[in-house]
Amino acid sequence: MYESIEQLNLNDPRKRQQWENFLKSLGISNFSDKEINGIDLTLGMYDGNELVGTGSAAGNVLKFIGVCNKGVTQGARFNRIISELTSRLYQNQIFHILVFTKKKYSQSFQHLGFTELASTDSAAFLETGSPNITDYLDELPKVVDQEHQSIAGIVMNANPFTLGHRYLIERAASENDWVYVFVVNTDASLFSTDERVALVKQGTADLKNVMVVSGGDYMVSYATFPAYFLPDSVTNIAYQTTMDARIFRDRIAPALHIGTRYIGTEPYSNTTSQYNKALLRELPPKVKVREIKRLKTAAGQYITATQVRKIIQEGDVTRIKELLPKTTYQFIEDHLDMLELRIKKGMNIDGN
Amino acid sequence: MEIKQTAVAGTLESSDIQIMLSKGNHGIEIDLESDVKKQFGDQIISVITTTLKKFGIENAKVKAVDKGALDCVIKARTIAVAQRALKTTDQPAWEVL
Repeated sequence: MYESIEQLNLNDPRKRQQWENFLKSLGISNFSDKEINGIDLTLGMYDGNELVGTGSAAGNVLKFIGVCNKGVTQGARFNRIISELTSRLYQNQIFHILVFTKKKYSQSFQHLGFTELASTDSAAFLETGSPNITDYLDELPKVVDQEHQSIAGIVMNANPFTLGHRYLIERAASENDWVYVFVVNTDASLFSTDERVALVKQGTADLKNVMVVSGGDYMVSYATFPAYFLPDSVTNIAYQTTMDARIFRDRIAPALHIGTRYIGTEPYSNTTSQYNKALLRELPPKVKVREIKRLKTAAGQYITATQVRKIIQEGDVTRIKELLPKTTYQFIEDHLDMLELRIKKGMNIDGN
Repeated sequence: MEIKQTAVAGTLESSDIQIMLSKGNHGIEIDLESDVKKQFGDQIISVITTTLKKFGIENAKVKAVDKGALDCVIKARTIAVAQRALKTTDQPAWEVL
């Protein structure tokens, strides 16, 4: 008995219904538009007319994996569906694949060559393929005798880089031998990843003990922490922030000998303040957390990138001059038309 | 020979092996996942290494997920992945066979 695998078109209402019913019978029930719209590919495994297995991919993340094992060798269908799904991604030149799953399925994925990066009581986050987290860490710049130095880490989206970010980095740089600044590597912000990285580099060029690097798929990426970019429920935020904090604690910090993570206090954004809470709860004692009070302007206003983006939308950029390093201000002045066009085209500026 | 691109051959089904080949700088590094690694791990690694060497590949990262493949299957999958990674699939390497 060999089942056929075919691509499922979820826009077909009958197929969609069959697919949802099948997943519901296996305990998967989050079919929000946000989840469904992100899907690039869905496969279905059929025994006759009956759907007996399915798996989907959104970018390089596997989702909605489910198989029925009734009457067949345990794991055979699971292996086939994952095999087919990963081969299709490989054909599209996607060689690094991630999956979030329930803790109890982590082992099944590990049998197929996936490596667990972090887990909580209920969930696990795994990756396979290349480049993996070891490759990512190998590529990062290192300093001589790193294990005996005091190293700090900061993760920022810097959308765009403000004097507030600069202040946080300066504090870390003055209190430590070296600072890694990980810039979020997801293009879901007004400023593109390349622009954000370039502005952080330019804005910290005078600080000789600061290394500005990409956060890869491992720090606040769209894959691990979608709630950072799109509004989400409290439960999802809690679960994603915990996972993100544990990856940093167990994978990133030990490899780079990072002893302290610096964060800025968060007066406005609910997601970010939840994130800070998760970091304070998860990182110590392995990694210290230094919460630095956010910088204020002369007029007593907190400096936020959100505010900068609002003013860009309104167009009167001279008002943000006092919030930004010269390099960022120059970039905005030179590219104002392009930025405003992005906002007009629907780029969300209220998030992070 | 230099690896030109990351490539994959094989599946994760029973009796097969899936091999991913990507650029490396420290010789041939093989990361093998297999339920029979204890009994046959050395043998699997030796088949992969020998086959890659025949292509003149000296540096590569290899990720292999074995599901009980026989040596001939391991060799065939290694040849396929090597040719894909070297972008030479249009010139079958008969001498390696």
